[in-house]
Amino acid sequence: MTEDFEPRVVGFLCNWCSYAGADLAGTSRIQYPPNIRVIRVMCSGSVDSMYVNRAILEGADAVLIGGCHLGDCHYLNGNYKARRRMVLLKNILTTLGMEPERIWVRWISASEGQRFADTVKEIVDETKKLGPNPMRARWDV
Amino acid sequence: MTEHILPVGKGGASGAVNDFLKGLLSSGKVKAVLALQTTPNGRSAFPVLVSDPDKMRSDVFTPLMPVSTATILSRITKTRGSDDPIAAIMRNCELRALTELFKLKQADPANLVLIGVDCPGTFDLNTYSNFPGDKDISSAVLDPKEREKFLRSACRSCADPIPGRADIVIGTFGMDLEKGILVSGKTEAGQALLEGMGLDAFKDDGSREKAVSEVREAADRSREKHIAEHSDIKGSGKIADFFESCINCHNCMKACPICYCKECLFDSAVFNMEAHKYVSKAGSKGSFKTPTDTLLFHITRFNHMILSCVQCGLCEQACPANIPLMDIIIPIAQNAQKEFEYIPGRDLEDQLPMIFYKEEEFESVGDH
Repeated sequence: MTEDFEPRVVGFLCNWCSYAGADLAGTSRIQYPPNIRVIRVMCSGSVDSMYVNRAILEGADAVLIGGCHLGDCHYLNGNYKARRRMVLLKNILTTLGMEPERIWVRWISASEGQRFADTVKEIVDETKKLGPNPMRARWDV
Repeated sequence: MTEHILPVGKGGASGAVNDFLKGLLSSGKVKAVLALQTTPNGRSAFPVLVSDPDKMRSDVFTPLMPVSTATILSRITKTRGSDDPIAAIMRNCELRALTELFKLKQADPANLVLIGVDCPGTFDLNTYSNFPGDKDISSAVLDPKEREKFLRSACRSCADPIPGRADIVIGTFGMDLEKGILVSGKTEAGQALLEGMGLDAFKDDGSREKAVSEVREAADRSREKHIAEHSDIKGSGKIADFFESCINCHNCMKACPICYCKECLFDSAVFNMEAHKYVSKAGSKGSFKTPTDTLLFHITRFNHMILSCVQCGLCEQACPANIPLMDIIIPIAQNAQKEFEYIPGRDLEDQLPMIFYKEEEFESVGDH
């Protein structure tokens, strides 16, 4: 691991909560690391494992799936479904030894700008300890 | 449950079962029978749908599974269930896959009579078609030495070779095959079929039960050994290496009884891009291999089907690049199914894990 390693984090944030939370962090001028690239999705429940796998195999150092707090989903239960799906994904990656700790799931509401900023900071700090994603060097996948 | 003995004559075990199926068909209780039958020149065997009792030439003990009978039954009943009773002879992995397909609404159980057979395992397609002519392949599968040499890895680590969810079970383990085969009616439909066939009652001396538990124990041991032997295939680099010879043909998906999507995302145009996007994609890592997204296909496929995976190993058998898929599929399936406390194919009432949720579960995910 090099000292100037800046992790690249891909964030899938739900339109109704986490994305609005990120927005609030911005409008409130809360400082957080610029390492995250946000992709707005309509619901965390719409994030297929394929998207997460794609990010990891293309070399993203971490992936965040952000949804509404449980019980608050705009579509009633999308985040519960997302949770099951991500548990399965992490389970498979664990068996394969493919660093499941690079996948983060967080429930962040529209009013939690600070929590969004803290989450990004935590992900970046932890990922720096983990080092770069080895898949970045693999041109053959 | 009613248990009977099917007498074995000159035609051996396979002939006895064939006569039994012929009897079912002539009695008019079923309109058709779907059973494994060797091809005319003997190099392969496929499920054959027979409606004329005189054309009944099944070889249900042929140690070969070129296709899952579950896939065939899905194809036959998907648009509309059968109007007439069809009896299908199936191995346990096929029965379990069919149960999953029922749950996924990809097959209709109406009027299907499922007859399970004990399965000592099957050989790979090429092993079978090139098997030395002077050896009897059906007895080779029972010989420990030949098994060790030729059995497919999925069969060697089979979770349960004894039929579970079936109307009738044809049992060979623990039976003296020169004398008789066990035929048990497990459901009302199965028992009704067996009535009036003039079969003697089975006298249980415990040897069947003993043999069944021995077979299961041996399978468990071999499974653990398999997992231990391949536990070193771990880590991003090793997994990428594992799939390095994949030609992205998607045969594993096509052979899989669970992968049922009419159009798989990976067969669609989603991954096609304009030339300049390919060039810019190359820019992100400096270069990339084509065809693209091979490992993405496999890992995503695992995510989509692994909870229903019955570990029949047809994916591995279908692989033209000889990737030993079962080396990683067995542990992935075992761990994932354990996490969700789900046993695919056990019971129609067990819900598929990805279609429901509980409010209180997996609480370490999402909060901290």
